[in-house]
Amino acid sequence: MNQDKIRNFAIIAHIDHGKSTLADRMLELSGNVSKREMTDQILDNMELEKERGITIKMNAVRLNYKGYEFNLIDTPGHVDFSYEVSRSLAACEGAILLVDATQGIEAQTLANYYLALENDLEIIPVINKIDLPNSDVDKVSNELINTFGFKKEEIILTSGKTGEGVDKLLDAVIDRVPSPKGDKNAKLKALIFDSVFDSYKGVIVHVRIVDGTLNKKDIIRFMSNNSSYDVTEIGYTTPKIVNVDSLSAGDVGYLCASIKNISDIKIGDTITLDKDPCNEPLKGYSEVKPMVYSGIFPVETREYDLLKDALEKLAINDASLTFTPETSKALGFGFRCGFLGLLHMDIIKERLQREFNLNIILTAPSVIYNVYLTNGEMVSISNPSDMPPMEKLSYIEEPYIKTNIFTPSEYIGPIMELCENKRGTFINMEYINETRVNIHYELPLSEIIYDFFDKLKSATRGYASFDYELIGYRQNKLVKMDILLNGEKVDALSMIVHKDFAYNIGKNMVNKLREIIPRQLFEVPVQAFINNKAIARETIKSMRKNVLAKCYGGDITRKKKLLEKQKEGKKKMKMIGSVEVPPEAFLEILNIKGD
Amino acid sequence: MIKSCYIHIPFCKKICSYCDFCKIYYNELFINKYLDSLENEINTFYKGDTLDTIYIGGGTPSSLSINELNRLFDILNKLNRSNSIEFTIECNIEDISKDKLQLFKSNGINRLSIGVESFNEDNLKFMERPSIDINKINLAKKYFNNINIDLIYALPNETLDILNNDLDKVLSLDVKHISIYSLIVEPNTKIKDIKPINEDIDYEMYKLICNRLKDFNHYEISNFAKEGYESKHNLTYWNNEEYYGFGLGVSGYINNIRYTNTKSINHYIKNNYNRDEEVLLKEDKEKYELILGFRKLKGINLIVYKNKYNKDLLDNQKINKLLNENKLVIRDNHICICEDYIYLQNSLLIELI
Repeated sequence: MNQDKIRNFAIIAHIDHGKSTLADRMLELSGNVSKREMTDQILDNMELEKERGITIKMNAVRLNYKGYEFNLIDTPGHVDFSYEVSRSLAACEGAILLVDATQGIEAQTLANYYLALENDLEIIPVINKIDLPNSDVDKVSNELINTFGFKKEEIILTSGKTGEGVDKLLDAVIDRVPSPKGDKNAKLKALIFDSVFDSYKGVIVHVRIVDGTLNKKDIIRFMSNNSSYDVTEIGYTTPKIVNVDSLSAGDVGYLCASIKNISDIKIGDTITLDKDPCNEPLKGYSEVKPMVYSGIFPVETREYDLLKDALEKLAINDASLTFTPETSKALGFGFRCGFLGLLHMDIIKERLQREFNLNIILTAPSVIYNVYLTNGEMVSISNPSDMPPMEKLSYIEEPYIKTNIFTPSEYIGPIMELCENKRGTFINMEYINETRVNIHYELPLSEIIYDFFDKLKSATRGYASFDYELIGYRQNKLVKMDILLNGEKVDALSMIVHKDFAYNIGKNMVNKLREIIPRQLFEVPVQAFINNKAIARETIKSMRKNVLAKCYGGDITRKKKLLEKQKEGKKKMKMIGSVEVPPEAFLEILNIKGD
Repeated sequence: MIKSCYIHIPFCKKICSYCDFCKIYYNELFINKYLDSLENEINTFYKGDTLDTIYIGGGTPSSLSINELNRLFDILNKLNRSNSIEFTIECNIEDISKDKLQLFKSNGINRLSIGVESFNEDNLKFMERPSIDINKINLAKKYFNNINIDLIYALPNETLDILNNDLDKVLSLDVKHISIYSLIVEPNTKIKDIKPINEDIDYEMYKLICNRLKDFNHYEISNFAKEGYESKHNLTYWNNEEYYGFGLGVSGYINNIRYTNTKSINHYIKNNYNRDEEVLLKEDKEKYELILGFRKLKGINLIVYKNKYNKDLLDNQKINKLLNENKLVIRDNHICICEDYIYLQNSLLIELI
């Protein structure tokens, strides 16, 4: 296809603003998918994605419209995956900025807009869900005009539900999105923006050809690690798979090359030809590094191998999931897992439980601390129990973020209070319109990986949206807090806290543990220690009653069942020394930090 | 040979707030049909065994009229009785009258179990039960020597003082047997949503009861008897022995099968008993032996156990572990739960089953 007739674009939006539904209407209108074949939201195909209404893994589809080749590249809608978003935007010339007519601009609208701008894209502003009775097109138009400087006549109104305006939008894509300007005859440069594992074909690599031509049977080279592979298949999806013999500058499609391991494929990497490589890779590539770490342990030790298999299977399709064996004195053998963020962690946890039916314990997530030692060395610590002893420490740095918090102005007070409680530093506040603001704070990342989202939601009755970017490391008075149960240190409950907040956190923590851990046959002291000094103590009283008071003829079989149920309940407990601890206890401590 | 039989009379004039037994409101029409079906059930399943115990429970068996009771006893005449039979009927205070007591006595009843539950007005109100007329109990004592009084403690707002008063009253009545249970909040009752009493107070109450009733033989968790007046019928259950059960919703244990009858009165009166059955294998029986046997403070007779199951309970590693931890103890050829763990026995049982 002549590059003049190609349009590569993405839809960017805040969660729930209707991106997938709109994409479905586009597929339908271009005749790619008949109405009968439409199941709602074709682009979201994982069960979890459907449930949460968000896209985790993206896809690209090619559609034909009025003689043009459209490549619609879907993007994940969450801050955890912002690097992937930026790389899929890099594969486009244009972006549809979708805003819900009932909600207006939200935190991720802004974040995505800037990502699109960084990638030099032509942005088409669209107000969606105009069919809803509570839509306010004028107000949202003004927000788009005032915040981003769009002109009123640029804005397109659509309804993903009824299909209204979708044809105008597709026309606007033809008119406004520039065609690709690659050089078909130059040396091959292809951008990897996604990869998916397929058990028959190996890794399927989604690419945008920037320059040159890729042919079947070419030998390709990945420029980040110089590994080379024989191409076995080239094609694109409509969303059905269509095989072709070549892809050339401007095209979006996929390739297979018998790649067994998804971690060999780096999003953002450049593919070139092995025999005739280009001189320079495309800009913007970086290694994705986990931001949050947590220990995952099987409740029952014998399920370790099952957990290992499950993690390996998940990692096949998720290059950003990392895991290494970890041994905890309290929890036994498990894995230290790295995640892009809290949502990513939550998804992995749920998939392990649902798809693999595993009974697991997650320990409280930790960020990566830069720990400077007295001898001048620096070590990165993502597991509080790896913290060197106090006397060897010089100082500790922790990662910071800058927030975009979009909120109706009446919630400014509660949000500021929340951020201050989370050790935040106020930067400034921008008014989007008379009633809505964007609040910027600098916050330690560790404070938002706990309960920040939930607290923000309840403080603003769900009206605020939130996004952040990392802004680097800062030194703080941080200390490691240990928890002792019945006199034994429970490594899996250790955490790194700010010294000024330690006393409160310790008090809340032992209190919470006293509530969560059921009474045992003996008394159990629960203590919080900092640097071998107790700062808080509670006692779990010994159990007094566990008896079936009454048991006559009619009760006997029922009572046996009750006992068997109790026995099952006991099996789910984790033995820490001689104390039975419910697995929730290890995550429950998340809800304590900032209280 | 089966030597015990339980008969269920599900009718009640009033339904108590905490009760999750199989019961229905008193209704003359139903009662006659019910007794017909009961007769049929006995005719069908009773194999002529000579019984050592018969227990008529409810519901409220005493709520039946004189005629209905006569009919019931006619039916029960079919059951062969040993010379030493223990024949119990449950009786509510308000039903106690000379006529009924006389009728019980003339039909061979020799043990009366009176549902008092509490003497305290607040407690009774919570349980939705009528006030207690002590005179009625004294009247019953003129007819029966072997009387049990049922009490319930650990109601949500109960105090140690209230319980102490209840114990004063029951002791002053000088009966031979006291059953006293900590309230169980069951799911299908009016009180299902109440918060049970704090477990520390519950335990204090239990200790108080053990202490106040020390002239009695504390032979099962919730049962106290003057020497020689332990309930033979209930010991059948705790000794894991077989028994007949006849009536709506009852359970029985015959030929290695534990069964439960239909709880639907409409099915029952059509002679449709729809028995739910649990066929017991040897290991199931052993489990029941432990669950039931450890309810007795004297524990499980090691020799009887060995004869019954052809193995030594002391060869069981889990038993030995608990013996080593001083949670179980051996005394006079019996193995029993140590006093400190009686009220915690589920925690031990779940390690054993």
